[in-house]
Amino acid sequence: MTRDQIKDVIVEIIQDIDEDADVKSISPDLPLRDQLDLDSMDFLDIVMELRKRYQLQVPEADYPELASLTSCVNYLEPRLKDV
Amino acid sequence: MIYDQVIIGGGLSGLAAGIRLARFGYKVLILEKHSIPGGLNSYYYRQGRLLETGLHAMTNFAPPSLKAAPLNRLFRQLKLSRKNFTTHQQLRSTIYFPDKLSLSFSNDLNLLFAEVDRLFPESTERFKALVEQIRNHDPFVSRPWTSAKGKLAEILVNERLMNMLLWPLMMYGNCNEHDMDFDQFVIMFQSVFLEGFFRPAGTIKDFLDMLLEHYRALGGEIRFRTPVARFETSGNTVSSVILESGEEIGAKQVISTAGYPATLKFMDQSNSNASEMDKFKGRMSFVEIINVLPVSCRQKLRCDETIIFYNLDEPFDYRRPDEAVNVNCGVICFPENFHDLPAGDEFQLRVTHPANYDLRDSFEPDEYQAQKTLWAARSAETIREIIGNYQENVLYQDVFTPITIEKFTGKAKGAIYGSPIKLRDGLTSLSNLFVAGTDQGYLGIVGAMLSGVTMVNNHIFEER
Repeated sequence: MTRDQIKDVIVEIIQDIDEDADVKSISPDLPLRDQLDLDSMDFLDIVMELRKRYQLQVPEADYPELASLTSCVNYLEPRLKDV
Repeated sequence: MIYDQVIIGGGLSGLAAGIRLARFGYKVLILEKHSIPGGLNSYYYRQGRLLETGLHAMTNFAPPSLKAAPLNRLFRQLKLSRKNFTTHQQLRSTIYFPDKLSLSFSNDLNLLFAEVDRLFPESTERFKALVEQIRNHDPFVSRPWTSAKGKLAEILVNERLMNMLLWPLMMYGNCNEHDMDFDQFVIMFQSVFLEGFFRPAGTIKDFLDMLLEHYRALGGEIRFRTPVARFETSGNTVSSVILESGEEIGAKQVISTAGYPATLKFMDQSNSNASEMDKFKGRMSFVEIINVLPVSCRQKLRCDETIIFYNLDEPFDYRRPDEAVNVNCGVICFPENFHDLPAGDEFQLRVTHPANYDLRDSFEPDEYQAQKTLWAARSAETIREIIGNYQENVLYQDVFTPITIEKFTGKAKGAIYGSPIKLRDGLTSLSNLFVAGTDQGYLGIVGAMLSGVTMVNNHIFEER
């Protein structure tokens, strides 16, 4: 997947988690949790959705890598390159 | 056939855990011993009427905009639309103590502040300080049991105010007698006073049907009339679940919502841990009297509130009564009294009193019916001084006892609030067996469901 495709996937997952999330106004470099009012339970859903869709295991130690949209893309790019 | 997870119990915690697992593609099976779901919060039919068990009101009201509120977090976790879930808020409820001392509250905290100020003006500032402390207290951090009475005596000083605040919270979710764990008090205070009571549109059946349909649409399986007999273990893991029919069901992981005493029994048939098991059997159980009344008698009764939590005993004490039932205290609920509910020709009056399971257990079957009638009459005589006389207007009456509760929910000794020892982390001596539900300290429908969700998140999704 390209960086843009990965970004679209993350946005789609967030929209799926929270029907009211204002995904259009996300600033890619700011923490997602602050912008979208997500808590740790919602955050786990991003991890679970990646596991379900791509059999990708994100260990708990790597959760900080998923903090912002840009850091998500950076983290996932090598891991989803063959998808 | 080997399932990823087998969940024992199709009550609200089991359904929530099942939905959460099915949502992420796990192969999950719920085993329910009855023919319908719901557990403690279910329903039955009598004379063409659908009657609900358990549910007076849901706690934890929050409008959809409050994203961090437990109700809205729960809906997101289960991938249910909060916007399409219609809620009806309570009208107003009252705590009623000797000398007709009445303290009212609603889902607007300002009413409670005004009422405390009216009845206990010297305690107004102390009460505000308590609310502040509760708002800033995280009750889910693991701590040793702390006396709520001790803490409240320190903060509020006034004992009557303290007891009046404790009473509804004890009646709606305290498994301990006499006192309550402070964390439990905080959980309940937030759910009842800071968030408040509501009902979903429709009945508990509609709510359960909605959950069941959602669970099945996600690929989850459920089997009714399927009681579990025991676990087959190998080493310190459950390898399969054996049904009472003898059928064996393979499971990689098991979540039991049957209560800790029943779960221990599945683990060890020899009963060698009977004394261990007794420790986990709660002593608080209740009778509930359901009365169906014609709408024409509304004008002669005090029936404009949602719930009246009354106590006429001095000194005040939350405990298992010495007699079969203590009618001097209880909860009077009018389940039709929520905003914007359609009015019918009939309305319900539900009355709950503390009861003694051990005494009920000794009744002969024929005496059991007579006792039910006797206590229902005593109940009506006692609450007559609070709401008026409704006895001659009753169209239909039914009484649940601790025995009814035990029979239909499997809760040992009918202890609806579960074990006095709470297993907050849900772990057991078997590495792939987790418990969820009442024995974890989460209360009410929202709490039970969050318990199912949390156990799945903590033990199955994030393997620690």
